Amino acid sequence: MAANTALKTPAPPPGTPQAQPADIQIDIRNLGKVYGGTSSDTMVVALDGVDLRIRRGEFISLLGPSGCGKSTLLGIVAGFQSASSGTLLQNGRPIVKPDPSRTVVFQDYALFGWMTVQQNVEFGLKAKGMAKKERAEIARSLIDMVRLTGFEEKYPHQISGGMKQRAAIARALAPDPDILLMDEPFGALDAQTRVLLQEEIARISSEAGKTVIFVTHGIDEAVFLADRVVVMSPRPGRVREEVTVPLPRPRTAEMRSDPWFVSTVNDLWETLKPEWQKGE
Amino acid sequence: MEANSKAHAAAPPFMQRAPRRAVSPRILTDRSFRAAMGLTAFFAVWQALTSLGVIDAFLLPSPAAVAGAMWDMALDGSLWVHLGASLQRVAVGFALACVVGMALGLMCGWWRGVADFVRPVVEALRPIPPLAWIPITILWFGLGDAASYFLVFLGAVFPAFVATYTAVRGLDRNQMNAALCLGATPWQLFTDVLIPASLPIILPGLRIALGVGWMCVVTAELIAAQTGLGYLIQQSRMLFQINNVVAGMVAIGLVGFAMSAVLERIERRVNAWAPSERN
Ligand SMILES: Nc1ncnc2c1ncn2[C@@H]1O[C@H](COP(=O)(O)OP(=O)(O)O)[C@@H](O)[C@H]1O
Ligand SMILES: [Mg+2]
Repeated sequence: MAANTALKTPAPPPGTPQAQPADIQIDIRNLGKVYGGTSSDTMVVALDGVDLRIRRGEFISLLGPSGCGKSTLLGIVAGFQSASSGTLLQNGRPIVKPDPSRTVVFQDYALFGWMTVQQNVEFGLKAKGMAKKERAEIARSLIDMVRLTGFEEKYPHQISGGMKQRAAIARALAPDPDILLMDEPFGALDAQTRVLLQEEIARISSEAGKTVIFVTHGIDEAVFLADRVVVMSPRPGRVREEVTVPLPRPRTAEMRSDPWFVSTVNDLWETLKPEWQKGE
Repeated sequence: MEANSKAHAAAPPFMQRAPRRAVSPRILTDRSFRAAMGLTAFFAVWQALTSLGVIDAFLLPSPAAVAGAMWDMALDGSLWVHLGASLQRVAVGFALACVVGMALGLMCGWWRGVADFVRPVVEALRPIPPLAWIPITILWFGLGDAASYFLVFLGAVFPAFVATYTAVRGLDRNQMNAALCLGATPWQLFTDVLIPASLPIILPGLRIALGVGWMCVVTAELIAAQTGLGYLIQQSRMLFQINNVVAGMVAIGLVGFAMSAVLERIERRVNAWAPSERN
């Protein structure tokens, strides 16, 4: 077995405050989210006491049954909605609104249907006020990175689901975010496309060196991609357990048959089965 | 096993047949050709009924007679004067309705609180037909263009409002969030996301609004104007010029048809990306 690369962390840059380890990028403490009404029967406690610290450059899989609050947690980290209680810090500062340092890839792609692939990818660069020529260039190289070259002028409805998600990934990478948030990005894709894109995202995340929070309810997907799998309990969602993945990166297809991978996926399934069945 | 998979590999006969297009000539399947056929048949039946005497020409003149009347009015210029007056009125009223209806629809769609206040008022005013507004319109604006503008506005503002409200309500939350996390400024969110995302619903609504506005201008002119196609019909009725009455009606129908066709064209271009506009 290779060295435990997941636990290896870069040395803190000089001059950073020592109050907390400098490489903690996202710090979630005792986070809670309650939806709706004032009476207890209309209230939904989606998250309750979520604690999670994420290091710079770490790939986190957020694994849990549907309805356990994964999207809610991701939406709060993105800044789309606010937490009901607890604290949420990015580099020591509270997250209060969406910011191009944290971009999101959605399950339903959420591409802008009236824009070409190229224009979609350029959106975040245009928002920055970047000049036309420069942003076209950056977009082109990102489109190349997600292997969509030749489809720049296509509209989302003209390309397949897998290609749409590639375009959405390129769009999310364009503003050069620190953190990439992905909410079941391959959930709507067929099995083969999903496997291919898992390998792509393994490659891209290693190349781009981003912190990634990858939401999924697929156990093998979670283990295959992550440095650390954070397992959430059914509603109200909280962190149930964490599994550090010792496989080296970038992840490659052969690792799916690695004995550690196989047994970890099986163990997770065995422990989660009773809980997930209850949730059905 | 081997044999089995071979048997499956051979496609069943119904799938092997070459895809066959309809045998009828292409022109019969062309949509504008069919439209022309439908209109021609309509006028042919009308012509037949009147020239065979099934319908008394005093009650309904033949299409030929109507065309003749229209030709005469086109030559003496009166048709153009009335048509121009009606078009100018519908343009002003419709523009006002678009501005007010879309602005209100936008605000109601965006802010729940605004909708809670405004929608009951709109829904209570909406059922009052423009015809019922005529007395009070004349009281307020007298006889003249302003009264027509107001009636067109009343007819068009509700469809414009409803379409905009529906469109903004139906905006994809994730698309909005995607734009926000990519750093979109409020202005970019408005011009690059909200507007283009809403157009597939807004534009058909505006087409309906223009259609209603066109009906309203004619209604207004029947009573409260001294020019326009509505006035032409009213005046011809009093002069017992039944040919001119029907000619005015035909002109209204054709112009309404043309306006709707042009807008539909524009819609198809603008919304080419939207699911409802494909095929
Ligand atoms: N806007 C909302 N209003 C009320 N309840 C919500 C809202 N969004 C999510 N919920 C509820 O919160 C819980 C967690 O939802 P979600 O975060 O979407 O779960 P997941 O992504 O894990 O499937 C669910 O029970 C869901 O019904
Ligand atoms: Mg979800």
